[in-house]
Amino acid sequence: MPYILIGIGAILVLWFISTYNFFVSSKARIKAAVQEIGNQLKRQADLIPNLESSVKGYLAHEKGIFEKLTEARKAIASAVDSGNVQKMADAGAKLAAVLPSIKIAVEDNPELKGSDVVARLMDELRDTADKIMYARRLVIDLTADYNVRRVTMPSSIMANLFKIEELPGLITPSEGEHLKVSEEETKTPKVKL
Amino acid sequence: MLNVYEAQAANKRKSALIIGLFILFVTLSVYVISQAMGVYFGYEPGGLGVAGIALIISGLITFVSYYASDKIVLSISGARPADRKRDFNFYTVAENLSIATGIPKPKLYVIEDSAPNAFATGRDPDHAVVCATTGLLQKLSRTELEGVIAHELSHIKNYDTRLMSVVAVLVGMVALLGDIFLRISFRGGRSDRRGSEASAIFLLLGIVFAILSPIIAQLIQLAVSRRREFFADSSSVAITRQPSGLISALEKIAKDHEPLEAANKATAHLYIVNPFKEKGHGAVDWFASLFNTHPPVPQRIAALRKMA
Repeated sequence: MPYILIGIGAILVLWFISTYNFFVSSKARIKAAVQEIGNQLKRQADLIPNLESSVKGYLAHEKGIFEKLTEARKAIASAVDSGNVQKMADAGAKLAAVLPSIKIAVEDNPELKGSDVVARLMDELRDTADKIMYARRLVIDLTADYNVRRVTMPSSIMANLFKIEELPGLITPSEGEHLKVSEEETKTPKVKL
Repeated sequence: MLNVYEAQAANKRKSALIIGLFILFVTLSVYVISQAMGVYFGYEPGGLGVAGIALIISGLITFVSYYASDKIVLSISGARPADRKRDFNFYTVAENLSIATGIPKPKLYVIEDSAPNAFATGRDPDHAVVCATTGLLQKLSRTELEGVIAHELSHIKNYDTRLMSVVAVLVGMVALLGDIFLRISFRGGRSDRRGSEASAIFLLLGIVFAILSPIIAQLIQLAVSRRREFFADSSSVAITRQPSGLISALEKIAKDHEPLEAANKATAHLYIVNPFKEKGHGAVDWFASLFNTHPPVPQRIAALRKMA
């Protein structure tokens, strides 16, 4: 009988430790994943001057684009230095907003479109955008895991005991246009060439 | 309709169930065969000793292939390391998905073969290898490639190489044990055995188990392998959130009838789709499917469609 009790006690202690460790290590991993977003944004900011110089010769007349790019790059650098996730996301969005205009500029120049330099530029742009998206995906997945364990039994007992707080993950407004579908959007788009 | 989280949980549950069944079956066979051996040797622990020896031999054989799996497979398949410039999509997709799964980027290799296929191996995420054929890299779009690479990274993240190695050790042990038992029992054993009823039953059961268990253990091993494929498919969708990519990649790979020259029976289970291409219909098909390392592609696609 005492052996059984000791056995149950040992299992309880192990469960206790592993659940506690899950919460604290998840929190550390989420923090690291947020830094990864910053890391990828910084990579993007560093990459763009190189890409810029590779196509600048072809797009000398599109001065406005390059000014916007430089501006966005500076915003990212300062946001990453500040370490604020929201600022990083804003700066990233600023950069993302410039990228389509590069695409248009390239498409307006038929002699540019076929060149290898531009094909590589497009590949690199897609890749750098993907990298940031996947870095965000990791933050979302890790926080979802953490938040689910926080509220489901039996780990919720530990969460309540140690006052483990809910983490926001990627901050997204829970109401607004992105959750609504307008009349226009319900129609299947027709592409005319 | 399952969402991707439920699909993941269901796969985990089924996988644990099959593995539990497998362990139960191996324990039972080892018990019965070693009891029967005990009857032969005339004392109880004799059989268990032999079981221990069988475990050690089987473990040693598999340990080498487990520990050096990355190197062995690569030397068999004749692959070259991937290059960021030359294999831009492959390299960057693997890099990006490693970020999303939170594992270090595996070593990447390319096999020069026009049959589209890919595999992953390595004992843990730090020693992982992902290998793709040039055919795969040429025929798939970037989105499709993401589905395939995410499937391979899921194998790595779920420690499938480790799991399948442990299963292989146990299957090997059962096979060896059955073999040893059949050999000694055909030689006649000792003539002065006391003929109690219990020992007669154990002898009979022992012979039945010695003949059947290796086959049954292998069938369960294959079932584990197929379940892990489903699991990796659903994990792939959990990473990319685009079932359409993996679906059309599987369709393209299955439609291609070129056999993969670099593959052989020993490495077949590693690939994303069975490199020997399954065929056949009806009852024969069902029976043959028991011996497959991979679930049939249409079944995998149907499971993916449910998640979409």
